[in-house]
Amino acid sequence: MERRDFIKILSRYVLASYGLMLCPSIALASDSDELAFQGQERLNSKKYAEAVDLLKKALEMDPGNHWAYGLLGRAYTGLDKRGEAVAAFRKAVNINPEDTFSRMMIDQLTQKPIPKTQQKKKAPPGPEQKARQEEAAALNRISSDSGLGYKVERVVIDAGHGGFDSGAVGLRGLKEKDLTLDIALRLHERLKSEGKIKTFLTRTGDYYVPLSERTVIANQHNADLFISIHVNASTNRASSGSETYYCSAKASSKEAMKVAELENSVLKYDEGFKQKAGFFDFEKILRQIEQRLYWRESGKFASIFQGRFKQYLPIKNRGVHSANFYVLRTAKMPAILLEAGFVSNLDEEMMLYRPDFRARIVEAIARGLV
Amino acid sequence: MKRSYRIKTKGMLPAVLLIIAGLVYLVFPNTVLSADVDALVFEAADLHYRGYIDEAIKKFEAAVQVDQRNEYARNQLGLLYAKKGWFDRAYQEFGAVVNIDGNNTFALKWLGILELYAGRTDRAYSWLSRIIQIDPDNSDAYYLIGTIYNFRHNPAMAVEYLKKARDADSEEPATHYRLGQAFHNLGMVQNAMFEYKKALEIKPSYTKAINGIGWIYYSQGKAGEAIAQWKKTLKINSKDRDAIFNLAKAYNDMAWHSVRQGRNQDAVNYWKMTLSINPGNKAAKYYLTQYAKR
Repeated sequence: MERRDFIKILSRYVLASYGLMLCPSIALASDSDELAFQGQERLNSKKYAEAVDLLKKALEMDPGNHWAYGLLGRAYTGLDKRGEAVAAFRKAVNINPEDTFSRMMIDQLTQKPIPKTQQKKKAPPGPEQKARQEEAAALNRISSDSGLGYKVERVVIDAGHGGFDSGAVGLRGLKEKDLTLDIALRLHERLKSEGKIKTFLTRTGDYYVPLSERTVIANQHNADLFISIHVNASTNRASSGSETYYCSAKASSKEAMKVAELENSVLKYDEGFKQKAGFFDFEKILRQIEQRLYWRESGKFASIFQGRFKQYLPIKNRGVHSANFYVLRTAKMPAILLEAGFVSNLDEEMMLYRPDFRARIVEAIARGLV
Repeated sequence: MKRSYRIKTKGMLPAVLLIIAGLVYLVFPNTVLSADVDALVFEAADLHYRGYIDEAIKKFEAAVQVDQRNEYARNQLGLLYAKKGWFDRAYQEFGAVVNIDGNNTFALKWLGILELYAGRTDRAYSWLSRIIQIDPDNSDAYYLIGTIYNFRHNPAMAVEYLKKARDADSEEPATHYRLGQAFHNLGMVQNAMFEYKKALEIKPSYTKAINGIGWIYYSQGKAGEAIAQWKKTLKINSKDRDAIFNLAKAYNDMAWHSVRQGRNQDAVNYWKMTLSINPGNKAAKYYLTQYAKR
């Protein structure tokens, strides 16, 4: 060997040692890759068990080797150990989310039940002692009805408008906000005395509550039904009668659209929050399903409600309509809006002034609810 | 003679190769098909994962045309149709998969979801129950049934199913959150708190659980702690509608409470806080002006 060659070899060795000292992971990675490569060869020759052993060793050396995890998943698939295969592919995807093959394999393998692996399941988290005691006590007293029917046990009563927002004003000065508050308070007392339904009010005095806050209150109490009480107004003084609305994306008629516009008009003061065009995901579908379910239930409930309501109130029945009311749209429960008469109609305004007529409205609502 | 024979053979070579390929195809059709389908499916999956929905649909459709019994391709196609809002076509694909193999729980789950979407709760329930019969550890099926009960405002049944979902897969934050929600609806706040916290252990940015904890505090009269929770949500997502409106409500409530106690300046400060969170809040705007004058 010439002196020149010797120096060359020596310098390479020194450089390699120096590199290893500085970046030991490079050496590990290359060893891990080497083993993974051998594992791949065994995999190609369908020696799956041998491949698993080699790949496990590769991963012991470098747990961040997503390629080895992908190969391990394939080796387990070859051994028909689907649980282990999915676990390995998941690790590969966790390390490298762009690993299409591993992602695809997870989707393919999880189409059907996966036999349990011992490592797969963790023991379910046991509740703390306080929570356990609470659960034992509560579940004993709760009778669970397994039916899928909708139950109404908690109702949020919303007195429309309030404070500086007077709502519609009659020719004789009757303000919608005063009337709705009176009816809401009476209804609250009426249902409380009966004890079958628990009620909550969105406002208890003459102050303004933003529409967004009204549904927050309903959602806060996890109400089963939200009923918003209003009285109607029209430029046509002859218009009269009661009607019930529920939420739908499109109004059921031009008139329904106008009523929704009138009741939503207060929104011009509230900041508009637009739902951002979100990423399509499982939870988003569930939210859509939830909303559709509530709107559908609202429609059913509105029909039943108006049917009962009209029997107890001697004014014209204008039926059930739907429109896109903000206050109904954002509630996480079935929600209806009652227009209990026309304040713009002189005769009805006079009736609405009378306490005995208001009591009849309350009675009609109560019977409509129960 | 010899020369002309050679020329003929040369001209026939492509035809001969074609015949050989045809024979191979006839004898081993699956080998040829599966290679084509695998390539198509891989390309389609890659397009899907990268968000190219339309292109992925085309590739999966091509794969299904070649291999009608490819359950994975049909399931993915169903999923993509659902993403496009073509629910009838999605339903057909998942239905076809179930006809190929009634144990394909992925297809059964999506049939359940599509029934649910169409408002046919009973049918959804029946598809999901079928999954549980096939795979008693299927957390998705328990989760969906529990969620249906939550939607139907039947928290006791929701708890029953969501607990099974949690026990089958305790690593899913949504399961802990919905179970917490069901407990919360039953008034079992200790359990609700426990599950909300579990959801947050798994995913600290799970804002729904943070908001739920806020409501537990608020209903216990701990407004300050509730506000801290909702603010935490806003640090994670400054546009979280629930947290914004919850905070606005809490500040407005506190403002009115201050007014009733004759502390108008405190009320004004609370309304200012409302507006700092929810600048369009009409109530805060109006009453702030009114009470600031007094």
